[in-house]
Amino acid sequence: MPVFKTPFNGYSVKFSPFYESRLAVATAQNFGILGNGRVHVLDLSPAAPALTELVAFDTADGVYDLAWSESHDSLLIAAVADGSVKIYDTALPPTANPIRSLHEHTREVHSADYNPTRRDSFITSSWDDTVKLWTVDRPTSVRTFKEHAYCVYNATWNPRHSDVFCSASGDCTLRIWDVREMGSTMIIPAHEFEILACDWNKYDDCLIASASVDKSIKIWDVRNYRVPIAVLNGHGYAVRKVKFSPHKRNLLASCSYDMTVCLWDFMVEDALVGRYDHHTEFAVGVDMSVLVEGLLASTGWDELVYVWQQGMDPRAV
Amino acid sequence: MEKALHRQRILLQHLQPSSSQTSDSPAISASICSAGEAAGYHRKPAFDDDVVIVAAYRTAICKAKRGGFKDTLADDLLAPVLKAVIEKTRLNPSEVGDIVVGTVLAPGSTRAMECRMAAFYAGFPETVPLRTVNRQCSSGLQAVADVATAIKAGLYDIGIAAGLESMTVNSISVVGQVNPKVEIFTQARDCLLPMGITSENVAQRFGVTRQEQDLAAIESHRRAAAATASGKFKDEIIPVNTKIVDPKTGVEKRVTISVDDGIRPNTTIADLAKLKPAFKKDGTTTAGNASQVSDGAGAVLLMKRSLAVQKGLPILGVFRSFAAVGVDPSVMGIGPAVAIPAAVKSAGLQLDDINLFEINEAFASQYVYCIKKLGLDPEKVNVNGGAVALGHPLGATGARCVATLLSEMKRRGKDCRFGVISMCIGSGMGAAAVLERGDCVDELCNARMVPTHTHLSKDAK
Repeated sequence: MPVFKTPFNGYSVKFSPFYESRLAVATAQNFGILGNGRVHVLDLSPAAPALTELVAFDTADGVYDLAWSESHDSLLIAAVADGSVKIYDTALPPTANPIRSLHEHTREVHSADYNPTRRDSFITSSWDDTVKLWTVDRPTSVRTFKEHAYCVYNATWNPRHSDVFCSASGDCTLRIWDVREMGSTMIIPAHEFEILACDWNKYDDCLIASASVDKSIKIWDVRNYRVPIAVLNGHGYAVRKVKFSPHKRNLLASCSYDMTVCLWDFMVEDALVGRYDHHTEFAVGVDMSVLVEGLLASTGWDELVYVWQQGMDPRAV
Repeated sequence: MEKALHRQRILLQHLQPSSSQTSDSPAISASICSAGEAAGYHRKPAFDDDVVIVAAYRTAICKAKRGGFKDTLADDLLAPVLKAVIEKTRLNPSEVGDIVVGTVLAPGSTRAMECRMAAFYAGFPETVPLRTVNRQCSSGLQAVADVATAIKAGLYDIGIAAGLESMTVNSISVVGQVNPKVEIFTQARDCLLPMGITSENVAQRFGVTRQEQDLAAIESHRRAAAATASGKFKDEIIPVNTKIVDPKTGVEKRVTISVDDGIRPNTTIADLAKLKPAFKKDGTTTAGNASQVSDGAGAVLLMKRSLAVQKGLPILGVFRSFAAVGVDPSVMGIGPAVAIPAAVKSAGLQLDDINLFEINEAFASQYVYCIKKLGLDPEKVNVNGGAVALGHPLGATGARCVATLLSEMKRRGKDCRFGVISMCIGSGMGAAAVLERGDCVDELCNARMVPTHTHLSKDAK
């Protein structure tokens, strides 16, 4: 299974929605605490199973997250730790990049997500307690959503409803927003501790997964938000990212500070389907490919990016 | 720094959440690492001013007077390795700040001239200086240490450390006019002991039996043969085009020497048992369990890490420390047992942190003693054979050990992190150097199942 070593510590990995062999990795120097960052665009060459670098973009501060554009196959949004959001075009040479640098957040931008249905806008969430909505053509944000009381770690669009998104915050709540409404439409006090990630189910538009510092992942139905549908325990430390499978309704992947990537089936009693402990440092980024069923990618602070098929050993040669 | 502290606070909150709902950030302050000085765990960062090794190559090692290099002049042995470190790294030779060559037996000034000439053969411009260094058997390693020290001191940024010995041309000879003071100064007198006698002294004083020595010799041959057969030495050996003159007919033939010719893969304990002691009647040191007299050369290219990264050169190894120590000349073979702990300590490590050793097998007696004294795992020492099988071209040995050690560490992958090279030195010394595996070698070879994670630092246990 191919492995790629990045010079900096990995933070996020995302498969391209256009090319099944392409993925991007966000990295930051010195574990994202101090130093530069780099975005790598990698290609999974089919011949020799290896990950080769197509292009890399350097940034002045660590890159905490990435989002591929759903409208243009070469555009990439990078969430940078100095508060800026940078848009890269992989078709242009590194000297012409970034094509846009949007600096409105006052603290670190922790996540970026591109609208998969509307395809013209994206949201970024930041440690300045806000979520901002942007379109690629406008130089300023379209709207700022400010209600959370602490860092907003993740904001993800609903895959079915083009104007609905969910945000996960360190104030221990999930908030559902509709961009057409005044404020948040729902507040779910999901955990007793900080919530680090959230994701919508790709087959049931009412289900959300929240990953928390309390080491659990909870699955919520927004129609009955008082009690979670499932609580997935098994991680040894805070869960950093959670991602529902684009191919199976009940499958989700998560990565955690306990250095493992876990696969869960939340409809089953003993939910843990698989555990991969290939990382030797915090596993902070995980993604499941939309174009290739079962293809997983993960990255961590051990500076390695692994791409593997579900069921196989990520470290097998 | 405020930003960095804030980010650390946020990360700490993920790992140690305070039960209160308020964003009551815990106070963060810098403190000394509780694991203390024992930092074998990946706590050593890569600094740009580390001295790194970007290339290390050697010639094959051949038996003196009878082997592949018997008709090769010394400067023709050195030139190919000097050329190789430049060609393989595509470095501009004029950027090299100095060349230091460890070489022992030849008359100092003459050999230094020959080495300078070899640099010209290798394509170095007149602007690159050269000098030789002699600390007997450790000269090759001393050259590496000298270049590393000079780079660290800022004398130049790129240096080549080499080792050269043609024991066909120069043999070990006895000191001509012995100073009468040796009657009074016994240790001075002991400096003049033939090396084989010091080997017998070690064997006798520390109880190393003939059996143990012969077994060590066989293991050396077996490992060297296996390494040669599996092609492990191909990465580090530079083929040398030279001539061989048939001793009977005088006919000259062009040959290319690229294989060590001292290895005897089929040696058995019975064969060795037949050999008579070579240095002392009723002794235990024979020609079979002593290092061979050989010809060979090696070269190592060193530079600052920042320069290597800038030039895009893969970092083969990092120079961490060097120690030269003195011991009783009559048992000079114990040198490594004293030098290795000194070098390891000076690198801020413990003996357990070292994953691979190259201890020169000057004599199986001293080699076996050192392993026992330090309690080393034989599986970690001389894994591709040693001087008993390969040969000991005195000045070249240190440099050739660098090539062999770093190649093996590169093959073994990320968990083979630290290596030590050490040798005993005639007249009662020992030298050792600690090298670290390069962290940016080209191929990633860590695809191994790890049964249990042992990544907790020592203070967590």
